[in-house]
This record gives sequence, C-alpha cells and structure tokens, in this order.
Amino acid sequence: MKLTVNDRPVEVDADPQMPLLWLLRDELNLTGTKFGCGVSACGACTVHVDGQPVRSCVTPAAAVEGKAVRTIEALGAPGAPHALQRAWVAHQVPQCGYCQSGMLMAAAALIANNPRPSDTDIDAAITNLCRCGTYPRVRAAIKSAAAELAAGR
Amino acid sequence: MRRRAWLLSGAGVAGALIVGWGALPPRGRLGRAELLAGAEGGVALNGWIRIAPDGRVQLAMPRSEMGQGVHTALAMLVAEELDVALSSVQLIEAGHDAIYGNVAMFTGALPVQPEDSEPGRETRRVRFGRWVLAKLARELNVNATGGSSSIADLWDPLRLAAATARGQLLGAASLQWKLPVADLTVSNGVISHSTGERMRFGELVEQAARTPPGDVRVKPRSAWRLIGTAAPRTDAAAKSDGSARFGIDVRLPGMVFAVVRHAPALGGSPGAVDDARAMALPGVERVVRLAAYAGSTPALAVVGRSYWHAKRAADALEVDWRPRPAGAIDTGAIMASIEAAARDERAGFAFHEQGDAPAQLAASAHVVEAIYRAPYLAHATMEPINCTVRVADGKVEVWAPTQVPGMARALAARVAGVAPDAVTVHVTYLGGGFGRRLDVDFVGQAVRVALETGGRPVQLVWPREEDLTHDFYRPAGIAVMRAALDGNGRLAALAIQSAGDAPTPRWMERVVAPQSPAIAAALAQGGDLEVPPALQPALAATAGALLTPDKTASEGLFDLPYAIAHQRIAHVATRHAVPVGFWRAVGHSHNAFFAESFIDELAHEAKADPVAFRLAMLAGMPRHAAVLQRAADRAGWGRSLPAGRARGIALHESFDSIVAEVVEVSSNGPAPRVHRVVCAIDCGTVVNPGIVAQQVESGVVFALTAALFGRIDVDNGVVRQRNFPDYPLLALKDTPAIETHIVPSERHPGGVGEVSVPPLAPALANALFALTGRRLRELPLAIRASA
Repeated sequence: MKLTVNDRPVEVDADPQMPLLWLLRDELNLTGTKFGCGVSACGACTVHVDGQPVRSCVTPAAAVEGKAVRTIEALGAPGAPHALQRAWVAHQVPQCGYCQSGMLMAAAALIANNPRPSDTDIDAAITNLCRCGTYPRVRAAIKSAAAELAAGR
Repeated sequence: MRRRAWLLSGAGVAGALIVGWGALPPRGRLGRAELLAGAEGGVALNGWIRIAPDGRVQLAMPRSEMGQGVHTALAMLVAEELDVALSSVQLIEAGHDAIYGNVAMFTGALPVQPEDSEPGRETRRVRFGRWVLAKLARELNVNATGGSSSIADLWDPLRLAAATARGQLLGAASLQWKLPVADLTVSNGVISHSTGERMRFGELVEQAARTPPGDVRVKPRSAWRLIGTAAPRTDAAAKSDGSARFGIDVRLPGMVFAVVRHAPALGGSPGAVDDARAMALPGVERVVRLAAYAGSTPALAVVGRSYWHAKRAADALEVDWRPRPAGAIDTGAIMASIEAAARDERAGFAFHEQGDAPAQLAASAHVVEAIYRAPYLAHATMEPINCTVRVADGKVEVWAPTQVPGMARALAARVAGVAPDAVTVHVTYLGGGFGRRLDVDFVGQAVRVALETGGRPVQLVWPREEDLTHDFYRPAGIAVMRAALDGNGRLAALAIQSAGDAPTPRWMERVVAPQSPAIAAALAQGGDLEVPPALQPALAATAGALLTPDKTASEGLFDLPYAIAHQRIAHVATRHAVPVGFWRAVGHSHNAFFAESFIDELAHEAKADPVAFRLAMLAGMPRHAAVLQRAADRAGWGRSLPAGRARGIALHESFDSIVAEVVEVSSNGPAPRVHRVVCAIDCGTVVNPGIVAQQVESGVVFALTAALFGRIDVDNGVVRQRNFPDYPLLALKDTPAIETHIVPSERHPGGVGEVSVPPLAPALANALFALTGRRLRELPLAIRASA
C-alpha cells in the first residue's frame, strides 16, 4: 500500500488491519509516536492524517492508504522547531516525556484549526493522558505558542 | 512477629550482613579513573569524571531519568564545581562499581523521630543506625533510583569528584606555566592567567591525570552561579521532538518483538496451550513459556515480526489457565483481614511510644476514634513495561528502562546462565517509574525469550492490560486512630494502629536477595543467624535501631512532627498474596491521608481552626510551622471564598522534606472539583527550583488521580481494572491551578520527586469536610463523595 509519511511517499507491504501506530513504529522505525494503551484512551499515539489528529493505535493501515500522515518527527523541521516545540521547552513541559509526542500533535492540530484557543477549547481538544502531571504547563505552552503564531501572522 | 519477618525487613537485613563485613575498610566514593577507561579517547580523572578531547565533561550517570529531572540536576552539580556550561556536561553510562550504589536510600530506611535527626544534634541511636545502614548499602551495592534520594545521595560525592578533577586540572596548568594555582581562573572549561596563558580542559587532561589534586574543597555557597537557578532541563528538547529514546524505542538490526500474556489470575500459570490458531497467523515465530521471574506470575510470550503480529497471536492462544495453587486472591477478604489486624490490640510493632497513651485514652472524657482505609494501587507508567535483550556468543546485552540496573544485570545473568560480567545493561529513558521499575520481572522474561531467538535481539512488551493486572501494587492499608482531647481542646494522647503488607521485605526477597550470597544464606536458614561472639555486642547495640519491621509501612504515622505527650504508634505487618511494591511516596502515600485527616477531625472536634490547631503543636518544630504558615498565607487561609467553595490543609514530612498543601474545592456535580492547590515546600538546599516546581506539580496531579479514582480490586484472583477506562487518570480539563512556594533552607538537600504526593489526599478530604460536613475516611474519595 502507498501513503505519504512526513511528506515522503512510502510504499509498504503491510496487513491492512495493522494499526497505523505499529506500521509507523515497527515497520518504518518512526518511534517518536508512542504506544500507551492500545484502546484510544490515552492519546500517546496521536498523529495527523490529512491534518486531522487521529489515535493511531486504533486506526487500521487500510484507513490511511493514499493519505498524508504526519508524526512528531516532522512537526518541525531540523533546526527549525515548531512554535509549540519551542514553547514546550520555554515552559519546561516534559518530565518523563513519554506522552509528549501525542500531546504536541494534539496541540498542533488544535491551533492549526483554532489559532487562539480558549481554556475551554483546550480542555475539549487535549484529552491526552499524562501520568507526570504536565497539564498546567501544556495549557500554558499552547497559549504562548498560539499567541506567538498569531503575532507573526 | 515471626523471626523471618524481622530479619527480612529492610533495616533488619543489616543484622545478616554485619557478620560478613566486620573487617572491611571503609571506601570512598571517588572511584578510580580506570572505571571510566573508555574507547572514545577521553581521559578519566576519577570514577565519575572524564574529559573528552574537545573539552566536554563526561559524567558517569548511574541514576535513571524517569521525569524527575535528575539527569539535569546531577549534571548541574558537576558543571558548578568545574565551571563549565551545563550544556558541556555529557552523560555516559556508569558501570556497576560500588561507588555508584545508593547509600542515602538505605540510610533513609531507618525509622527516626524528626527531633532526633536534626543535623549536628542526632541521637547516638540515629548516628549509629545510619552508619550501619551506610555500611550495609556499600556492601549490597544497590544502584537504585528511588526513595527521592538521588540528590541527597550524590550531593557530596559528585561535587567532591568534580572539585577533585578541577584541582587536578588547575595543578596541571600550574605546573606547565610555573604559576601558582591561586592566581589561575577557570571559566567555561578554560583555565587562564592574567599573563594571557590559556588552556582548555581537553589540552590539560593528560597531565592532570598524573597531577595530584591538592587541597580539594567544594565551592562555598556564596560562589555558586548554577546551583539554585532554574536552569532548563537538558532533556526538554529531545522530549519535544520525538528523538528521546525510551526502552520501547530501541531498534536493532534483525530485532523481533515479544508480547506477554500472563495467567489471568495473580499467581496462576498456563497449563496446556493450543497454539495452532496463533501460529497460523502471519508474522508469528514461536510461543515461549515464562516461569515466574522475580515475583511475576507465570506467562506466555509470543514472538513475532511486530508488536501487532505478536499481540494478535497472543490473543489467539487457547490456554488452559491454572488458578493460583494456594487459592484465588480476593481483595474484599483481604481488606477484612487487614481490618481485623488493625483492630487487634495485642498485635503490632510499636514504631513509636512515649508517655502512656493507652492509660490516657482509658481515663479521658473526650476520646475520638476513627478508622481509615486505602486501597491497592497500580503504577500505570505511561511507557508500558518493556525490555530489549540480545543473547549471542555467551554475552547478554540488555536495554531496559529500569530503576535498578545492577539488579537487572544480576537477574539477566542468572536467567541466561552466564556470569554477571558477561551482561551489559544500557539504561534508556524511563517513561515513568514511580517505583514500578524498581522491579525486574520483565528483564528476566525478556532474557528468557532472547534465549530462543537464535542471537537476534528481542523487544518484550506488555500490553497495558498486562501492566494493570500484573503490577506490584501499592499495599492497601487500614488504620485505627484514637485520640484524647484534654479540657482545653488540646491533643493529649494519640494511639494509631495501622495494618497492611510491608513492601520492603517482599522487594528484598524477590529483587535484592537473589544477588546477595549473604542474604541468600540468611534466607536459607529461615532467618536465624549464627553471629560470631565478637560481633554480638555490636549486634545487640544495633538491635533497637535496626531490627525493626519495615519502616515504610508506618512512615508518616510514627514520625509525626506534633508535640503530643502520649503516643503509641504501631503497625501490624500482614502478609497477603497480592504482590506489593514501592509506589510513589510508599507508606507516606496513604499514611498522610490517615494522619492529617484525623488531625483535621480533632481540630474540628476541638472547635479550633485547623491551621491554629497544628501550629499550637509545632512550637518545637520551626521548619514545619514555617511551611504550614507559608502555604496558609499564600492560599489566603481564613479569607472568605465564593459560595460553594471550601479549603482544606495538610502538612507532611517525607524523604527529609516538608510540604504543606491547601486545596480549594467545590462540588457542583457528582465528583469534587479541585480548583487550586497551593504548596509550600522546605526541601533543604535547592539545586534547581524549576525542577522542584515541576515535581511538586507532578506529585499533586499523581496524588489527585489516586485520591479521586485510584483503586485496584482483585475478584476471584483476577484484577478487575484492565486499562485506562477502568483505571482513570486525571485529565487536563480537571487539573487545578498549582502554585509552588519554596521555603529557603541551607540544609542538606532533601527529596523532591515524591514529597508533594502525601499531603494532597488529606488536604482534599479536609476541604470536602469543610464544604459538606461529611468526613471521608476511605480512598478513593470520588465515589464516596457521590455515594
């Protein structure tokens, strides 16, 4: 099957039932996207498919055929991190860091669709789970990245 | 108390080992440069510090980074003493030498009263007990990241190692330039002199290695430029772009994946297996039977080309699962058994007795009695349990997210049948630890599978359901609390009898003992030891201090800071079949709920303000009083709140740090809503206040999850909670604003990673009482509050 991953065309011989998460991690060695629960409950596996956030652990490969997948590895460019990634460092968001790829991809989809999200918008969009309790900093970092992007527009 | 339980308690093991090491000389922790003899071309100056040719400082890092920021904070100590930028410190793998073992974690196992351990004024018992435990720690050489002890343990050794390296580098420059050391300056890895002489560390290190360090002194506090600053974490960028490598991210040529499926019942096992359907699926290689490793439940592992291939086949196995031979575990029955123990006045070990609490209670006209309960809890690290192993050519290579690399190595060697020297352990980033990764069961499983894969590396992964149903759980606990108030509403007498399983002896049995001949011998004798006559007086002298049951079971109850004239604080160590382990803040995690909720009850019973009631008992404990007052002040304690909101407060010391929290709560729906948590902390000298704030926030969220939702139930042998939908974590939308206020201190650094966990549950329960008038005495609170 063919799809686009991080702007590159990819052809893989994968079982159509294989979830995108494992296609990315175990077939393409893109390990930035994380396995947390396998049941779409924690969001650690969040990636973008055609710009929309999806939980890749329950998204079969067949559903992404011909589509554009973006993972944390291509959220920013080498040497030019995304505004959210800069805000993540500025606000010192990560602790163990394991859930942060999914957190960032969910946040990126949010501010791409809603450039100035309110607290309520953030509450609704960021349902990813974090065991280290980085939530207050996630919220603050989303707001400052959104403000920075808005100012730069 | 059975003899065996006494000997196996964390401190009690000291008795077993005193026999073997009476003649060993004490060793410093500086370490020899040969420990870091590497192929990369750097030159080591001791067992911790190596200077690369480009001048970067390479630091041997034995502690695991699991979110608590220890890789940053420990590197800061070295950057400070060597006067280099934090970014110039590069972490390299530490080996297994005894200098890397954790001493502070062991000395922290000694039960002490807060007033007996004031620096410089420690009692003889405390001094001697700590000395013996330090000796024990050095002998056991347990390299563990746990007990909030990393900074406390390495504060002196790392600064000394870096200062020694600095002395050698300065000495080398001095010899080369024929200029006095006192006239040289160090900045950013360059040594210079006003004459214009300049050399980089990398240019001087060959000579430095042959130069004595001179009179080594660590920097005075006034000279610090990095310690005490909120330096950004060195791992933040890699953890924001997907490049940070966790255990589960290890990728090796030819690697296959193994998925574990345990017997559903704890302690059960797989009987006959029909794997026809599983093996017929594509991408599946084999099924491997896994025995019990370091306390695990026997299991099956399926090897396949990806996690998904292996998982699908594991689900397709048809297995005659056997129950636990000694009977199915049931937490309902266990809680009843724990309660009976807590109520049995003839049982229990008194961790603290002063005055005559029973007599005072019997004579008092105003006795308050309550019973508190806390459930078993799972760790639920975000990174599922995993380990990667390659066994080839008689060598074993392990990549593990572990808090105990030495224990991982010992178990890997035993399972593979090789000497420990044939095992290399690479510690990756840990996607959360919280004590779960102080156990090594998954390492044994991974090695076992790797013995079957013909030299190809295998990554063993547990599905989330296996993690929640086969954890080493935070022990459940129950406490019967009794207090007498005098005619002035003051707390005259306090008696606590708690009960629950003690985690330390279980962990020593399954993780530490198998690698230690001395402990293994003690175990083989059923705990009875032959003590040489010459050592008997020393053993007798330590008995009071050391041969006590597991301190972690009673910590946070027996060591209350309050002046209470009559106390009897006892614990009954029960032994049930649910596997128990260390969970963030260990005994403090539930004992603070028992103690600080009950103190709040007494304040209300005495018609006193909860802050004033506590302060009146803290006249002799100024640090505790200051922390309590700071949290109350910053939270606006006593000031009015909008209708439908209330505050609660709690104060708790753990891991040598004192934390007070004020929780602001409302209850507009079925579950309480926490709006704001104000924390004050005295954790001694602060290395990085930014990381302290992060960890305080982290502990608050972790504890709020537990207080509202956390419970593990075992029905007919099987854990009922299987994945996050049944074991919910607090969500972003429900997370309160959290403020951290650090009370300055110049004491030795205390713990940070766990210390904000204990006060949260009681502060929340106390706030809910203020709001509703209902006293909640059982965790979790959410279901109770709405019941």
